[in-house]
Amino acid sequence: TIGNMDFYYSPGSSGCRTVLMTAKALGVELNKKYLNTREGEQLKPEFVKLNPQHTIPTLVDNGFSIWESRAIAIYLVEKYGKDDSLFPKDPKKQAVVNQRLQFDMGTLYDSFANYYYPLFRTGQPGTPEDFKKIETAVGFLNTFLEGQDYVAGDHLTVADIAILATISTFEAVDFDLSKYPNVDRWYKSAQKVTPGWDENVEGVQRLKDMVNAKKAEHKKN
Amino acid sequence: IFTMDLYNMAGSPSTRAIIMTAKALGVELNSKNVNTFVGEQLKPEFVKINPQHTIPTLVDNGFVIWESRAIVVYLVEQYGKKDSPLYPEDPQKRALINQRLYFDMGTLYDSFAKYFFPLLRTGKPGSQESLDKVNNAFGFLNTFLEGQDYVAGSELTVADIVILATVSTTEMVDFDLSKFPNVDRWYKNAQKVTPGWDENMKRLENAKQFLKDNMIEKLKV
Repeated sequence: TIGNMDFYYSPGSSGCRTVLMTAKALGVELNKKYLNTREGEQLKPEFVKLNPQHTIPTLVDNGFSIWESRAIAIYLVEKYGKDDSLFPKDPKKQAVVNQRLQFDMGTLYDSFANYYYPLFRTGQPGTPEDFKKIETAVGFLNTFLEGQDYVAGDHLTVADIAILATISTFEAVDFDLSKYPNVDRWYKSAQKVTPGWDENVEGVQRLKDMVNAKKAEHKKN
Repeated sequence: IFTMDLYNMAGSPSTRAIIMTAKALGVELNSKNVNTFVGEQLKPEFVKINPQHTIPTLVDNGFVIWESRAIVVYLVEQYGKKDSPLYPEDPQKRALINQRLYFDMGTLYDSFAKYFFPLLRTGKPGSQESLDKVNNAFGFLNTFLEGQDYVAGSELTVADIVILATVSTTEMVDFDLSKFPNVDRWYKNAQKVTPGWDENMKRLENAKQFLKDNMIEKLKV
């Protein structure tokens, strides 16, 4: 049974949106606790006690504390899923999901962060080489999606959800997906079939507002 | 015919993690060297196998998988005994291991590579900011290991093996582990209990020598 599931998060954060959509897909209710990381709320002693690495998202399931969005998503499926479709038990199918999740963290989202985080902080993005890495990463995703409706196998998995959270974040900075026809196609379809999409949209809009505010601030200076 | 090909670079941390995991499971791998310093991974035959053309890549009788942390989990799930302690079935135990694997990818190994790999390539270290990130990451690991013999629970898991591959890479550079007493203690013990440690050390020594030889070339110029 599900008792107390505290979810420490920020709506703009891609990893947090991954968990929100996964929970929605599983019908799991999260007790949402907003942490404003730009004001350092994650450094409060009560939170550091829960997560010594003081990152969001963090889930506390009846005293069991877990962080890293992709680990949380997998945990929710394994613990509360009615079946294994979102994270298959078959070792080979699962391995493909894991590879896509790690591609998301280490290549796709990583390239996005390297180029755009400076933009969020200072109003100025990263280097042209950094931008090229984003194009290469999205290019790989495009290849993975050749003739495929989902990123890892023939049905929706947590890999689709995580990569959906990442790619939707690209919308906050008006990245042109049309050059990647498989990604574009997958993205349009994923929005229709992924539970919790509306909440994801709200989070991305919050991020977009923040980006625009930063840009305006930078123009003034 | 049973074939398990591992396309790899002998000294790379990700390859060493897989070698140690295979040793722990008694699985034989057929090593296929791919020299990424000279772009061998871009050969068409390899791109056909892995469109992202990264190493290590495992080909298990035609099943292709890449990302080292996905590979080690796959090996345990496919070839380990039921509910192997290396990657137990319990969702909470797994979640902790998964969090440590993502910590290694996104924080520990990531910070180490960003600071030290430029040093090894060019003789010039990364920035002070990137060194601070390495020390922060090792600080977190130190905290995780407070009162713990292993990084994720009470027994050796794939998280220990992967993090051992990362931490042992410090042997190639001038990095003082004694500043992190829990990590130091864990590291000394891990060397004794982790299968394939000798092979890991041998590969590190070879890599160290290879770099010495090649850096001398750079200094000549």
